[in-house]
Amino acid sequence: MKNSTNQPSNPKNPAIGYVVGGGLQEDLQVRLNIPAQEVQEGAFVVLESGDWRFYGLVTDLQLGATDPRFADEQSENRLPAQLAALLHGQTLYTNLSVLSALMMEIGPEPGTLGYESWRSAHLDAPTHPIPVKTVPRHHAEVRLADVSDIAEIFGEENGKEIFRIGETREQGHAVCIDLDKFIQRSSGIFGATGTGKSFLTRVILSGLIHADHASALIFDMHNEYGPDDTASDTGLPVPGLRNKFTSKVRLVGLGANATFRSTQTDFNLEIAESDIRPEDILMLVSELNLRETTASTLSALEKGFGASDWFHKFRNMRVNATIEDEANEGKRIPAPDSVAAWADQSGINVMAAEALHSKLGRLFGKRYIVEAPAADTLSEIIKLLEDKKHIVLSFSDYTTDLDYLLVTNLITRRIRAAWEVKTNNFRSGKAEEPRPLVVVVEEAHKLLNREMASQTTFSTIAREMRKYYVTLLIIDQRPSQIYDEVMSQLGTRISGWLGDEDDIRAVLSGLAGRQALRGMLARLQPKEEVLMLGWGVPMPIPIRSRRYDQGFWEELLGKKANPKKIDRDQLNKEMGF
Amino acid sequence: MSDTKKIMIGKLLRSDNTGFVAGCRVSELQAPTFGALVKVPIENGTEIYGLVSNISISDDGLVRQIVSGVSIPSEYIADNRYNRNLPVEISVLAVGYQEKERIYHLLPPRPPLSLDSIYLCSQDELCNFTSAGHFGYFRHILRATDLPIGELLAAHLKDARSAHDSKGDEIWLNNAAQELITFLRDDYQTLMSVLGALADF
Repeated sequence: MKNSTNQPSNPKNPAIGYVVGGGLQEDLQVRLNIPAQEVQEGAFVVLESGDWRFYGLVTDLQLGATDPRFADEQSENRLPAQLAALLHGQTLYTNLSVLSALMMEIGPEPGTLGYESWRSAHLDAPTHPIPVKTVPRHHAEVRLADVSDIAEIFGEENGKEIFRIGETREQGHAVCIDLDKFIQRSSGIFGATGTGKSFLTRVILSGLIHADHASALIFDMHNEYGPDDTASDTGLPVPGLRNKFTSKVRLVGLGANATFRSTQTDFNLEIAESDIRPEDILMLVSELNLRETTASTLSALEKGFGASDWFHKFRNMRVNATIEDEANEGKRIPAPDSVAAWADQSGINVMAAEALHSKLGRLFGKRYIVEAPAADTLSEIIKLLEDKKHIVLSFSDYTTDLDYLLVTNLITRRIRAAWEVKTNNFRSGKAEEPRPLVVVVEEAHKLLNREMASQTTFSTIAREMRKYYVTLLIIDQRPSQIYDEVMSQLGTRISGWLGDEDDIRAVLSGLAGRQALRGMLARLQPKEEVLMLGWGVPMPIPIRSRRYDQGFWEELLGKKANPKKIDRDQLNKEMGF
Repeated sequence: MSDTKKIMIGKLLRSDNTGFVAGCRVSELQAPTFGALVKVPIENGTEIYGLVSNISISDDGLVRQIVSGVSIPSEYIADNRYNRNLPVEISVLAVGYQEKERIYHLLPPRPPLSLDSIYLCSQDELCNFTSAGHFGYFRHILRATDLPIGELLAAHLKDARSAHDSKGDEIWLNNAAQELITFLRDDYQTLMSVLGALADF
């Protein structure tokens, strides 16, 4: 076969094929000249086209024949083996569909005529990969990416923000993610249950905390991330973040008596009655099955008792308490401390007020809501976050959706307010730059579904808090349940296997090459492989995710003898502020 | 290509650019075979190459009379073979020429003239001609659709393979087959009949 190379071949990494067609709209077609089983869907390939190098992803492999009869006829039975092999080599072939993603100018070969002038023109401005705007030429040589290609695109692990998240599936080359870019916009980690989502989350959180360029507030609904745990499938111990980063991470339990197996909490969160605002209750409308009258009742309560006192006062009101009205011949009237009396007085429908009181009974019974907590732990959390610590808030035994919705919203509301003030102060030159904050939300669809999204602080964070240095890291198994407007704001998406069509569509919403990535997502190996895509990664790529085991910790913490000092200006620049 | 080894197989009867017909005596018919490479030297040292694409023996009145006889004495047969004045006709397909030591797989600039001598090529010449260039002479064979292309190619490749094998070049046949497949991969019928013929080596 004629060698159709444009560039001298690299003997260590020979060409696997050459471009025969395709375009920007549809995938590029590459004629494969090695056996098909040596290339897999999702392989990262490099296309050499003269002075430009293209990077792409194999999205499909197709068998072809110059004439269908060559494929129909089993000519190996009719012809000698050697002749049949020659015939098949020319008439039967495999085409790769390659989704080209990036291109980079590499200039002429060193030593050729144009090289010196090209080099001097690009001396000050090294070329970077950019999104594809054109196509490689016909017969451009295609090869599998090697270590240096992947490092060129995804960066080289530096023990800090360039964090190795896994390896390519075929050759096992390290694939890194830029954590600074990852937290610059809201991100999501998705995958059906049992696809290794929480292990991957642990890996990424460890990387984030280790890089320490942003504070993390982790709402640990299932007590997985903070305390030490045991893996449900292997029974092996799973170290928690608290014990691995003793100086950086604070484990906070919900409720005065929160304990987690062997791990001690640093302090426990108790919520003062005065911290609960009417808007916190309004977010629980569907959870508590509240009626339409709730808003007016709450606003009357706030008006009557003040924003910080209403909860306490309302909690202590009695229902159905009556006294004899002495002025009115002993007729029974609502007692002065009853809900009915207050409702009458405030011009609120008594039935509505009593219904609200009874429905809030679920909250009144929560032991973590106290009149006067021993310490202002809520403010303590915010202070620690400002102080560059990371918080894991584990929900202990309070595992209902109600606890989760109430507490997360309450804290996030406070954080949002605090960071807005800090940012405004910074902008007006009164304070230093706020510390970037990542709020990690599990079971995110509970907070960010269609009904809730308009009310919760989370959707605001996802949509606009980027400017205030706060972003979300959403972890969920049903991305289709998350409000589209929030999904579309997610910069980086890392997804494990998803079976449901709607979930797949949600994860891929707003991305180029959806059709090709769809199949890839559905064919990921559960527990091992994830697809990285979106704004925070240079191009979509399926990877085998890094294992969260003893080796991981040795690699991450073992080599940190001299943590590099971070230049603040450099960091800000990198983060795009 | 020494002249001493030249084996003359006949004299030219008629010709054109694409091929020619030579005639020889029946008694001379041992040398040329179907598919053999032959050449005709013309003026200026140019030599025209061709492949023997057909050998035909015509009848005449005498033969018909003899054939219709009850028994044919062996002297009659011998006489007919040695003294017959009707030549065996050897059709040759022009496939290239050599000019100033260089081989072209192109049709000759001019056809050879009547009564030019036609010679069988030696093994060396066969190797030289078939390994020059990149099998361009296959074009002429494949274009001759009125000939049994598969059989002609098979006969030629069989000859050439043994010539190349004797020189230690064992991949020649592979390359040739590869090239044929490239030429014919859009023509399933022809390719399969050619490959079928090659399979019968």
